[in-house]
Amino acid sequence: MSNPIEVTELSRSFGNLRAVDSINLTVTSGEVFGFLGPNGAGKSTAVRMLTTLLKPTSGSARVAGFDVVGDPSAVRKKIGVALQDAAIDPLMTGNELLRLQCVLHGLPKRSSLKRCGDLLERVGLTAAGDRRVGTYSGGMRRRLDLALSLVHEPEVLFLDEPTTGLDPTSRMALWEEVRNLNKDLGTTVFLTTQYLEEADQLAERIAIIDDGKIVREGSPASLKSAVGAPTLRVDVSENDLPLARKAMSHFGEERPARRNRIAIGLVSGTTGITDVLKALDDAGVEIHHVELDEPSLDDVFADATGRRLEGGQV
Amino acid sequence: MLRQPQSWAPGLFFPLLLAAVYASQFSRAVTIEGFPFPNVSFLDFVLPACVIQGVLFGSTNSASDLAADIENSFMDRLLVSPVSRGSILLSRLASAFIYGVAQAAVLISIFVLFGANIAGGFSSIISIVLIAAMLSVSMGSFGIAVALRTGSQEVVQSTFPLIFVAVFVSSAFFPVQLMEGWYGAIARKNPLTWVIDPTRRMAIEGFSWADFGQSLGIVLVIASIGILISIRQLRRRLVRAQ
Amino acid sequence: MSSFDSPQVPSFAVVFAGIQRGLIRLQRIPSLILPAVLMPIFFVVAFSGSFASIVELEGYETDKAVNWMTAWAVMQGAAFSGMGAGGLAGTDLENGFFDRLRVAPTRPMALIGGLVGYCVCRALIPITAVLIVAFAFLNADMPGGLLGVVMVYLSGVGMSVVMSFLVLGIVFTFKTLKSLAIAQIIMFSSMFLSVGQAPIQAIEGWLHHVAAVNPITNVIRMCRQGFLGEVTWATTQPGLIALLGMMLGTGIWARIRYKKVDA
Repeated sequence: MSNPIEVTELSRSFGNLRAVDSINLTVTSGEVFGFLGPNGAGKSTAVRMLTTLLKPTSGSARVAGFDVVGDPSAVRKKIGVALQDAAIDPLMTGNELLRLQCVLHGLPKRSSLKRCGDLLERVGLTAAGDRRVGTYSGGMRRRLDLALSLVHEPEVLFLDEPTTGLDPTSRMALWEEVRNLNKDLGTTVFLTTQYLEEADQLAERIAIIDDGKIVREGSPASLKSAVGAPTLRVDVSENDLPLARKAMSHFGEERPARRNRIAIGLVSGTTGITDVLKALDDAGVEIHHVELDEPSLDDVFADATGRRLEGGQV
Repeated sequence: MLRQPQSWAPGLFFPLLLAAVYASQFSRAVTIEGFPFPNVSFLDFVLPACVIQGVLFGSTNSASDLAADIENSFMDRLLVSPVSRGSILLSRLASAFIYGVAQAAVLISIFVLFGANIAGGFSSIISIVLIAAMLSVSMGSFGIAVALRTGSQEVVQSTFPLIFVAVFVSSAFFPVQLMEGWYGAIARKNPLTWVIDPTRRMAIEGFSWADFGQSLGIVLVIASIGILISIRQLRRRLVRAQ
Repeated sequence: MSSFDSPQVPSFAVVFAGIQRGLIRLQRIPSLILPAVLMPIFFVVAFSGSFASIVELEGYETDKAVNWMTAWAVMQGAAFSGMGAGGLAGTDLENGFFDRLRVAPTRPMALIGGLVGYCVCRALIPITAVLIVAFAFLNADMPGGLLGVVMVYLSGVGMSVVMSFLVLGIVFTFKTLKSLAIAQIIMFSSMFLSVGQAPIQAIEGWLHHVAAVNPITNVIRMCRQGFLGEVTWATTQPGLIALLGMMLGTGIWARIRYKKVDA
């Protein structure tokens, strides 16, 4: 059987802007694939193309075995989609929306009633099923959105920034939901996120997208180990910056850091820290603060793009 | 203002459409027995009403802006600044007046271009523009009172159909003499009829101080009532703000 | 892998669900329909009242203005109800719910059909309201009898389909609720440039020619015939042809613009 998602040289331009620039991707059956990138990197544009909502400028994509341009309605039968911001009609109740969704996917009426009940229970909204969506909290909306995208038992589930704007508790509840889905039903999940932690926690494999291009791809663990060295961060006063930079440059390559701070990839590993501190001391640099971090996805992102993601450690 | 065509375009479009349609559809209406001006074109007959209607289309704009200011609490900032309280009202009314003058002048020019006849010439035109603009101020002041009272743009905008109804149930588009029953009775008592009839006489028969005095006088009375009510509402709002 | 595999989603069910959704929303915010009901009621009262003597002119074929103006108000109300389809689609487009509808494996015409069907249901409310006011308070006549009333509903429903398609095409093009203003201008112009208020014999100048070729003229005549006399096939047929032609044209327009929603 072919892979659920196969993307070849997919591009989309808006005027002069190349929102998605020749990306190639393969997602294998049953995996959770994370698409990580900052705001405006092209994640949503890519998802809109994969879900047949937007036509590519060039390149091709096959989802669930069908071409997104050539046979969009075959693709639509096989995919579930929860788009950004959980756009749901606030005047309708959860139950009404689920039933509408069943009709839109051609489910017979008798089986759809049971299906709606099951799905509400799965996402923990049984009690709120007859309330208008306008009264739901952000987390409840996302969970309903998830349920809506599941009515037809899709083979591939697309989640576009499923937790953006949620509080930490709701976010973790939703992660749990996605994990269970993937485990219980074997649904392939394609998720976009701007949160490092989300990609790290949920995805078996990730691709990092920046400026429309995929800059890294692999499992979080392999990407982290590829960056290699842990990051050493030293805060010094502004006057000492040139001295400190010179002293530290012997121990590894410099990484992006905030003001009055120097960060390097410590080649010699964690044990080399004493040598660095000694060298700084010898150079007469006054040290305000020191921290050492094992590589994170944030470092992977910084390594690939030279920038930090929002919320990342700098 | 030019960047917001939705605030002035309907005020140009609808009066012109109505005038064009009525001028051709009811051109023979002037031959009906009892029509007060049997020798004019129907376009000349509806001209003053169309100008007034166009001006009233925009008269809720300034009130709606005020309600928006209250909604986004820009009003509160104005109130704590040393700007005089009266000038808050005055600036709104002045903008309604200027809008009225501009809209009326543009509409009359277009009508004249399409062959409308204004017998009184320049002095009649000036009078019509002035009366229309003051009517815009009157309706604007009622709108402002509603805005101050409710602080809601939606409510202010929903008063608009009332203006539309008021214009229609008057002598604006047809002589009240030819209306029957209760409808005619209401139209004859509508203050807008008392404003429109003398204004129309000035357009069709020529300028007269008596007609000018009557229509402007009534408009001024309406305006003073509206302004008094809005001053009251502004005071209320100030008291509540303290 | 998927336990459920539908061959084709039944379009009828989708249309029905679309209508149901529109009506549920209407039931929750009834004020949505208020202008669409009040406006035509006001029209029939104001036009019959203001222009009471206009029927003395040649061509009106009736001695009461209300007999002439009721059809005009019904058509206005029916046409205006088409704004409802645009309002719902515009809201969905603005908040993103429309994507959820579009990503389902349904036929586009079924989604459009649901919106149009909702408007047809809506249109029945102002049409009925205008008829009640005209007969109960304004002493309108209906020499055409029951068939005449059927003609009123038939032309009203047809007009609301045409205007729904037209407005949807415009909203699909601009993807905002604001574009309803454009739709409104187009709608009112096309309605006013017809025999809505005056018979063709009374209209002079350029408007005479425009009104003569405006297909809406035929629909209004079909709607009005029962108020003026017997219902005849000679008046009904041009109306039906005009309605079918306009439905086809505006339907294709709506379908083409739908395709471009996310091009």
